[in-house]
Amino acid sequence: MNMFDTYLHTIITEGAVEAQRHGSPTVEAQHLLLAVAAQEGTAPQRLLASAGLDHQAVLAALDREFDHSLSAVGVSRASFGLSRSSTPVNRPPTMGATAKLALERGFAAGPRKKDLRPAHVLLGILQAEVGTVPRALALAGVDRTDLLTRVQNAIADDGTE
Amino acid sequence: MSATDIPTPQDPADALAAVVALRRLADQLEDAAVEQAMRAEWSWPQVAEALGVTRQAVHRKHAKRLIAAGVKLRRRSP
Repeated sequence: MNMFDTYLHTIITEGAVEAQRHGSPTVEAQHLLLAVAAQEGTAPQRLLASAGLDHQAVLAALDREFDHSLSAVGVSRASFGLSRSSTPVNRPPTMGATAKLALERGFAAGPRKKDLRPAHVLLGILQAEVGTVPRALALAGVDRTDLLTRVQNAIADDGTE
Repeated sequence: MSATDIPTPQDPADALAAVVALRRLADQLEDAAVEQAMRAEWSWPQVAEALGVTRQAVHRKHAKRLIAAGVKLRRRSP
């Protein structure tokens, strides 16, 4: 496996761990984003950190989006007194629609497979204009368009090195 | 509650996001409720009927998790 394949494998594997941790039967774009934010020392992780998004901040942003979306229909998570499930493990999660879309978009941004970089995964995740990830980023005060530009620039710089 | 009693967000993005969040909350509630019932020694058929699904479906979805959590499960069939 080349460097990109190894990185992609890590993100998908760790994304599945994040999905299980959150009791989701599918790996969604937000789980990939959490996995990207957790890979210390990688270019995509540094790009997220430069926008104030470490793993904890992404988690907080997603939690906020969840509560915000529920509140739009008058529902509060707190009123259910839910504790974390004792063991949030069902079957291994499968790839969900939003994660597939994010990866497809990331791959499509690379002219050839051998040109793909880890930042293309983040690029694909950030390109979604609707859904949980862009809503969470907006609620966290992150300028997604600006971050997207920085990711694109980082990919371009990497290609000219 | 009729459909007209449910507050409907004006922004379609908010309305769609509420659907996603409610599904996620329902999943979390189901996990907690099934665990609570099984700890109270409900049978699989009782839990399945209360949820309106087949007992195979509820067993397939929750058994492994509950066993891992150390919940003592009743036999699936009497």
